[in-house]
Amino acid sequence: MAFIMIVLILVVGRFIFAKGNNGNGNVVVNNEQTGEGQKIILSQKDLNYKDAVAETGKPIVISADSSVRGCLRSVVFNVNGKKYSKYLRSPEDTLELPGLSKGTYTFSCSMGMGFGKLIVK
Amino acid sequence: MTFKSFMKELNGNRVEGELIRTMFYSLLTSFLLLGILYYIKLRFIEDFIPKYGFFLFFAALSYALIIPSVRQIRAYSELPCMGGMMVGMTTGMITGFLPGFYLASTNGMFVGSVFGMILGIILGIYNGKCCGIMGVMEGIMAGFMGGLMGAMTAFMLFNDNLKPATLIVFLISGVIMLLLNYMVYKEMKNEERRKYEDHLFTILLTFILMTITTWLMVFGPRSGVFG
Repeated sequence: MAFIMIVLILVVGRFIFAKGNNGNGNVVVNNEQTGEGQKIILSQKDLNYKDAVAETGKPIVISADSSVRGCLRSVVFNVNGKKYSKYLRSPEDTLELPGLSKGTYTFSCSMGMGFGKLIVK
Repeated sequence: MTFKSFMKELNGNRVEGELIRTMFYSLLTSFLLLGILYYIKLRFIEDFIPKYGFFLFFAALSYALIIPSVRQIRAYSELPCMGGMMVGMTTGMITGFLPGFYLASTNGMFVGSVFGMILGIILGIYNGKCCGIMGVMEGIMAGFMGGLMGAMTAFMLFNDNLKPATLIVFLISGVIMLLLNYMVYKEMKNEERRKYEDHLFTILLTFILMTITTWLMVFGPRSGVFG
């Protein structure tokens, strides 16, 4: 019985892991490129981010001013199941997002303590 | 030694001899359910396995670890106070922590912690009542704390090696559940079994837990950062 159970776990596990590596569900993009795009500067309000506004379709370059402190400097976006994340150590560090369609995108710090909204118009 | 005799009893005639079989039936139920749901519906969901497969797989393994302890306690019905408190606490804690952890990994902290707390408290009470109010209280407290802690841990690890952490958390919880089975055996080895039952309860409980977990993970509400 124990042997059959181990075989069952291995077979199902192998299926899950083999298929799981093909998609991008848990991809973390820690991007380094410094391309062109509309610049968005994040600020902190109380213990969250201030809402930011961007234009639709254009790549977005995000930075954080000196009002953003602690774990809020590590920003995580989840766009269409793909994670974009970077620790914006100084105001010069940037995180790049692709052009987004119209809508409101929620983001947070990497510890999930502070939240903000990126409104794309 | 008691641990050696416990290992021997895993193939014996007492309820401990049914633990591995219970695990097997629970796993089989979970995998069959997931297989059928995958074939009928879930395979049409984009990126289903990369997004949810890993956590559903570990949820199935976790329920297969938790449910044998429920069967073991049901078989003895009543335990001494100290042992019963440990049963309530361990069951509540692990049952709250693991499902809360998995669900928070896909749906965010609110859904994960609420689900973890509800499940932890219900099974904590169910198992803890074997020694009366003290076990029930331990079950409630541990389920409450475990659900919140599991979800919070997952959410804070979201951007930092979440999958390896899942494996580590699962392995440690597995050892704890195995030791709980051993502790119950040690406390009750001179007592007679009070309740005999088939595996319908195991299959039913696994089916309910996996159905709710899968539904919440795939179709349930999620925090904004999970898109």
